[in-house]
Amino acid sequence: PAVSLSPRQAGKGEMRKIPVPANRYTPLKENWMKIFTPIVEHLQLQIRFNLKTRNVEIKTCQETKDLSALTKAADFVKAFILGFQVEDALALVRLDDLFLESFEVTDVKPLKGDHLSRAIGRIAGKGGKTKFTIENVTRTRIVLADAKIHILGSFQNIKMARTAICNLILGSPPSKVYGNIRTVASRAAERF
Amino acid sequence: LSVQDGLAADFRAMTKTLYDLNKGSNIVRGGPLKELVIENFDEEQIWQQLELQNNAVLDFFKKSIARDAKDEDLCLLSDQEEDGSDAETSSDKELEDNIMEVETEQMNVYTKDKDKTKAKEKQSKLKENIMQNYSDEDSDIDFDIEALEQQAKTAKETTLRKKGRKSVVDDKFFKLAEMEAFLEHAEKENSEDDDEEEDINYFEDIISDDEEDSEEAKVKPIKSSRDMTYKDFFDPVDDDDGDDDLVANDAEEDQEEEADSAIEEQNEESMSEFEDMDEMVEHMRSKEASKKVTFSLPDDSETEDVTEVQSEKDIGPSEIKSSFEKRQEKMSKKIKSLEEGLLEEKPWQLKGEVTGQKRPENSLLEETVLFDHAVRMAPVITEETTFQLEDIIKQRILDEAWDDVVPKEKPKEEAFEYKKRISLDHEKSKLSLAEIYEQEYMKLHQQKTEEEENPEHKEIQEMMDSLFQKLDALCNFHFTPKPPVPEVKIVSNLPAISMEEVAPVAVSDAALLAPEEIKEKNKAGDVKTDAEKTPTDKKRELRRKKLRKCMRRREKEKRQKLLEKMKPEQGTKLSKKAAAAKLKRLTKEGKASLLKDEGKDKALKSSQAFFSQLQDQVRMQIKDATKLKKKQKKEKAISVHKLKL
Repeated sequence: PAVSLSPRQAGKGEMRKIPVPANRYTPLKENWMKIFTPIVEHLQLQIRFNLKTRNVEIKTCQETKDLSALTKAADFVKAFILGFQVEDALALVRLDDLFLESFEVTDVKPLKGDHLSRAIGRIAGKGGKTKFTIENVTRTRIVLADAKIHILGSFQNIKMARTAICNLILGSPPSKVYGNIRTVASRAAERF
Repeated sequence: LSVQDGLAADFRAMTKTLYDLNKGSNIVRGGPLKELVIENFDEEQIWQQLELQNNAVLDFFKKSIARDAKDEDLCLLSDQEEDGSDAETSSDKELEDNIMEVETEQMNVYTKDKDKTKAKEKQSKLKENIMQNYSDEDSDIDFDIEALEQQAKTAKETTLRKKGRKSVVDDKFFKLAEMEAFLEHAEKENSEDDDEEEDINYFEDIISDDEEDSEEAKVKPIKSSRDMTYKDFFDPVDDDDGDDDLVANDAEEDQEEEADSAIEEQNEESMSEFEDMDEMVEHMRSKEASKKVTFSLPDDSETEDVTEVQSEKDIGPSEIKSSFEKRQEKMSKKIKSLEEGLLEEKPWQLKGEVTGQKRPENSLLEETVLFDHAVRMAPVITEETTFQLEDIIKQRILDEAWDDVVPKEKPKEEAFEYKKRISLDHEKSKLSLAEIYEQEYMKLHQQKTEEEENPEHKEIQEMMDSLFQKLDALCNFHFTPKPPVPEVKIVSNLPAISMEEVAPVAVSDAALLAPEEIKEKNKAGDVKTDAEKTPTDKKRELRRKKLRKCMRRREKEKRQKLLEKMKPEQGTKLSKKAAAAKLKRLTKEGKASLLKDEGKDKALKSSQAFFSQLQDQVRMQIKDATKLKKKQKKEKAISVHKLKL
């Protein structure tokens, strides 16, 4: 539901700041058009990239119709900064019930050195095969940034993907993980 | 209980003497045996002898009584018969006794009226009736009551007729004294036809009218012979049960005792007359027996009872006990029996836990045992249950509600369909997340529109089906199925590992080619590298190689020859390679030598060409000269072909 600005807030205008790491600077620059167009046009917000602070700043203005747009926009930009594609991150703007979950490989199991690398390799698979498989089956998007994992999708799907990734970290072979996620996904699909 | 041999011997001897005595008297005719034989005879045999005698005696008595009944002097009364007939309906012996009492009383009345003939008639009639009733009685009692009665009456002949003497058996209807009086009278008439009425019985007591009706017992100073009891003759006897005095009595007496015991058996059923009958029995016995009699019957209890009764009666035989006293006696007897029962050892049924050893064999079979059934009993099939079942069955048939088993079908899912459901895409999805969700959303909302279109399709499909069915009926019922399409199965000879990496379907190795199919196995079995091969192996391989080559060459030549023969024009056209090869061969062998092509044949077109050609020729000559020198050196080498012979 659209939340209208309270009179107190309406005067000032809210602002959100999203820091941009150096490695995402160039992709931001490349996709800037794609980023700011939906924010400005659909969400009626003001957006700018502060070069000095290296922050993306989003601000409400008078045209802003609902306050939740700001949150959405902030999430959208954040998702992109984390590493997701613009189109995928855009789903956050369009759908309400998408979430973003992040966790580390070491959260699941304390691994060090080669073991950690191997775990990451298992998650990714050869040419990213495993990761893509999980993404396709569970209808999520996964970003694997060294030891950090970010999952974007609906709540149930995030859960499924997380289970699959955890299994991979803990050491089960990919084929087994495929089997599991397939059964789970089929059951979930049957229900709806 | 034990066989008392001494007493038994005495008894037998006495019986014999009595029997012989009786036989000697010749009063009673009959009986085949003149004497009772007891030597080396069993008890059973002695009894049988006695029985023979008894039967004869009884017959005699019957005849005599019948004779008396037919006697003209004794006229039967018609008025009295009605009362008698009323009383006769009862088959109980006690009632018969009452009848007798009634009759005798009335007869006494009549005698008082001095109509003795009538009384006699009545008495005789009474006797007859009694005889009849007794004869109707069940033959369990194997003795003749008639005989007994006869004997009793004969015994009473001697007694004085006493009117007014009270006895315990006296009742409202029956007066024992009167009965006796009448009986005596009858006896007198038998013996003497006349002068009966005028005889006065000196022994009889005279009683007043009111005393007749009263029931109260009065003790008279004069004792009739009937009232004389054991006590009058002997000292009081102990109350022991185990008296061993066996008195040798007549056969009749034995019978009488048997009768008594039998009577007692009967009497035990009726409590009211119990005392009275005992009294009568007691009187009977006490007259005959001088001593107390015990006999080893199977029912000792009865003898005990008898003796007890005797002892009790000994105490106060003449005292007529009041009803209260009688009740008290009964109660005390009952209490005594109950007490004895309690003191006795309990039967095994009441002894708590009883094992098989503690109870008689198979005694549990006769008991109805109650116990809890842990298992639900099978239903008892009765007619009603079957009817109920049949009703249910009929109803089910009418309703057509069968309990048929529905065959379960296992849902068969092929791998193909399963794969279709969820295909694992290993590549990066081309659609973004937003688009995926968009598609899903559209799918959900589009289903409704699809359903609207389908009915039309369905109709069309149905119509087509019906049409085709009709057409088939017309022409195509000789239907031949299509030939089976040979399935082409592609077997890729990938290593199993690569196949397994693709997760979806389980792949079996059976689809791949076997190693033998790829490369033929060595005859030896194993594959050897060049280093491993033994000289034999190497030679073998060489031989094979040569053989193969030889074969190939031969085939080639054959083909060539064939070709030449068939098509000679084509045959001459040899391929360039073949020609060059031939040439080389010939030159080597020395059969042919190559001509040098100097190029002189060419037509010269320009002067430059001419001079260049000239220059070339000179150059060639110089080269040849140098070559010759080289050749000469070469020719020194020996050629294999020249050496070949």
